[in-house]
Amino acid sequence: MVYARTLGANTYTFQVSGKLWRNSFIMEDRETSTSWSHVTGRALDGPGRGARLRAMPSVQTTWAEWKETHPKTDVLKKSEEVLSSRYEKYFSDPDRMGLFRAQWLTEKMPGKTLIWGAAFGTHAIAVTDDALDKGGEVRAELGGTPVEIERGPDGGVRAFTGEEREEIPVTRAFWFAWSSFYPNTQVVDQ
Amino acid sequence: MLLVVVTGVAAQRPESQVVATWGGDEVYQVLPLGAIPAIDEPEFVAGEAADAQMKLGEPVLGVVVGDTARAYSLWQLDHHELVNDEIGGTAIAATW
Repeated sequence: MVYARTLGANTYTFQVSGKLWRNSFIMEDRETSTSWSHVTGRALDGPGRGARLRAMPSVQTTWAEWKETHPKTDVLKKSEEVLSSRYEKYFSDPDRMGLFRAQWLTEKMPGKTLIWGAAFGTHAIAVTDDALDKGGEVRAELGGTPVEIERGPDGGVRAFTGEEREEIPVTRAFWFAWSSFYPNTQVVDQ
Repeated sequence: MLLVVVTGVAAQRPESQVVATWGGDEVYQVLPLGAIPAIDEPEFVAGEAADAQMKLGEPVLGVVVGDTARAYSLWQLDHHELVNDEIGGTAIAATW
């Protein structure tokens, strides 16, 4: 997820708190020591409690696809060689999940299924790659609002809502983690 | 891009302490504050220098603000989880 760090008069600098909540990490800002969810942008504890950071659309794709569509892109400089994910074993092990209710909703699909999730208002939707790649896009309705989820030319998945096609942030997540935040999420898996 | 990367660490540390409850759900202290170092002063490369450090199939988090397109290697973010960045005057946090 990408967030604007400025909220009203405050610009926050975030640290990794070392805390986990609902299977995801908690950010802590240096300025007020408020705890924030990196999944929802919501301030959960501390002086800023109740505030919410503005989420900004972003995509997850490969370097090849990203630079093809954004040839002038810059990329975060590596200070040391990093040639793979340090968590490869964790990613590929179907049984290793979080501490928190790892079995939550896993009757719907395996917990380590990677989904594309989008949330707005009190609604959420989770779409699998299978569903997305079958038709090129997924159309659904959430609380009376149309939602379109599609894979763009840069390989990234984006979601749009309403008549104005407002872009809303999409998150790549394991199902077990997404469902611990959004247990009533609508699932499109085929 | 919720990735629950810390969860991978947590799964190896069953002794993690429950330190609070928010919204009825437990908060675990898995690592000390800042043990995974966020990036506060990010530097960037483009063009050939970018290609030199990236693999074609390497996963990235990509964001566009105004005329600026910016990518963050997710393999690199595994080690940091958070980048306190600024794009075209907008202060942003890229999280993984």
